[in-house]
Amino acid sequence: MSAKHKILIVEDEKNIRNLVKTILKANGYQVFDATNGSTGIIMFNSHCPDLIILDLGLPDVDGIDFIKEIRMESQTPIIVLSARHKEGDKVSALDLGANDYVTKPFGMEELLARVRATLRNNLIKESGGEFKGVKFTVDNLTIDYDKRRVLIDGTEIHLTQTEYNIVEYLSIHSGRVLTYSDIVKKIWGFSDSGSIKKLQVNMANIRKKLSEKPGENRYITNELGVGYRMNSDDD
Amino acid sequence: MKFRDKTFKNIAITVLVVILFFGVSILVEKYFNTYVPIPAILTLGVFVVSIITKGYVYGIVASMISVLALNYAFTFPYFKFNFTIPENLVSAVVMLIITSISSTLITKVRRAEVLKVESEKEKLRANLLRAVSHDLRTPLTTIYGSSAGIADNFDSLDKDAIIELAQGIKEDSQWLITMVENLLSVTKINGQGVSIKKTPIMLEELIDTTLVKFKSKHSDVEVEIDIPDEFMFIPMDAMLIGQVIMNILENAIRHGGGTTRIVIKVRSIGDRAVFEISNNGNGIPKDIIDKIFTGYYEKKDKPVDSREGMGIGLSVCHSIIKAHGGDISAENLKPKGCCFRFWLSLEANEDEC
Repeated sequence: MSAKHKILIVEDEKNIRNLVKTILKANGYQVFDATNGSTGIIMFNSHCPDLIILDLGLPDVDGIDFIKEIRMESQTPIIVLSARHKEGDKVSALDLGANDYVTKPFGMEELLARVRATLRNNLIKESGGEFKGVKFTVDNLTIDYDKRRVLIDGTEIHLTQTEYNIVEYLSIHSGRVLTYSDIVKKIWGFSDSGSIKKLQVNMANIRKKLSEKPGENRYITNELGVGYRMNSDDD
Repeated sequence: MKFRDKTFKNIAITVLVVILFFGVSILVEKYFNTYVPIPAILTLGVFVVSIITKGYVYGIVASMISVLALNYAFTFPYFKFNFTIPENLVSAVVMLIITSISSTLITKVRRAEVLKVESEKEKLRANLLRAVSHDLRTPLTTIYGSSAGIADNFDSLDKDAIIELAQGIKEDSQWLITMVENLLSVTKINGQGVSIKKTPIMLEELIDTTLVKFKSKHSDVEVEIDIPDEFMFIPMDAMLIGQVIMNILENAIRHGGGTTRIVIKVRSIGDRAVFEISNNGNGIPKDIIDKIFTGYYEKKDKPVDSREGMGIGLSVCHSIIKAHGGDISAENLKPKGCCFRFWLSLEANEDEC
């Protein structure tokens, strides 16, 4: 890695902070840390990190408010650490602009994969987000954005317009979890009570057409009650 | 709002039943031309009110109305209240006592039933606490000992020894995670009473998420999925039902004795989604098959092993399924293996009680 990516960790638990810091450093990142929200904001302003890893349960400010404050001035990607039983927190953090989340207790490989995917996604975004002539691949699946085609091992998979739009949207943000409401808004432009069900049925059809079996997790990961994530090759 | 609805419902039932039995009494009087069975019929009415309504107030109110009705319509002087005649007064008082006692008794029986359910929950909680305090000690000893060992003796340990210690920490903390997830599920049920927040979950996604999690731990076991082609949306708390499936799968690995293949089959039968999870292990020992869901049990012929604590996993399954209004059972298969079966209601009826 030529220029080291700078990562800011905001976490009040000393042991988790040390663990994350040690492993990230070992993987070639430059790491700063803060033990609470207000120090976190100061560190953010003085070091301009490329990524923030944020614990939602901070002693001084609500993690959700922290995200809001960061988002007022910056689009720096944020990965949220959250407790397992608080599904609602995850969804609201994502909807407020957090880029991804990792549930406690988490494995370090999982966190590293999220960090890599988030940094890569942000690079695509900063480069203008144009996909002319670009192809997306994960495992043996390829998406040809120019021709709006999805191929597995070179054989075209026939998707409906809506199905293709969903797959395309997920792949552009591959490695990142997109919430149901986010996808629904993007695909149909509006959301009503039945739209999540409509999305789930579409997703089921997509999985069937990609002949993805339950538990296989080759192309698309299901985040139950939250949304979907297109896998990326370096996961 | 809800409280008022219930009160209104109970009052309506009381009034309707009293009127019905009053009507029956009039008919009996008309056709048989006798007053003899009237007090018995009215007493029966009060009984019915006590059984259908909740709380003893309605029974006692019904009893008073019936006494008044008896006095007014069926005792001399007819269609007039008169409590001066001693025999009317006696029958009124006796009837009031009988009906009051019976409605109080019914309420008491009902309270005892509620207490029984409560005490079963209490038992589960006590079992869990016992299992936890008993079982947490072993993995914690490993984790504490190994990590302190590495921190204090790093220079004198070789690489392999450190990896081995770290592996032990990893395994035992994974086991602790499972334990804590089970405990969280139980507090979720007990903490909110019995009300579980159900949302319609697509079966395929539930199975997929659970299996991805399971396969990350046990990649060597073959899991076959047999679910209907049409989409099934089942109202549930997805985290809790995911926990149930996970516990049953892990149980098959830990206690199944050589399980190499697991089949998850789901069918919609009537208004129920029926889940069957079977494995080809050694089955469940006969002496504990009736007890596996009811709480923590100890295998007497085996030395104490920290992993035995997964016994609580199945009682957690039991309470989760019960809290969803479903049921769970287990049976041994021939020639070998066993099958866990549970069902959930497909009706999105959130207002259960």
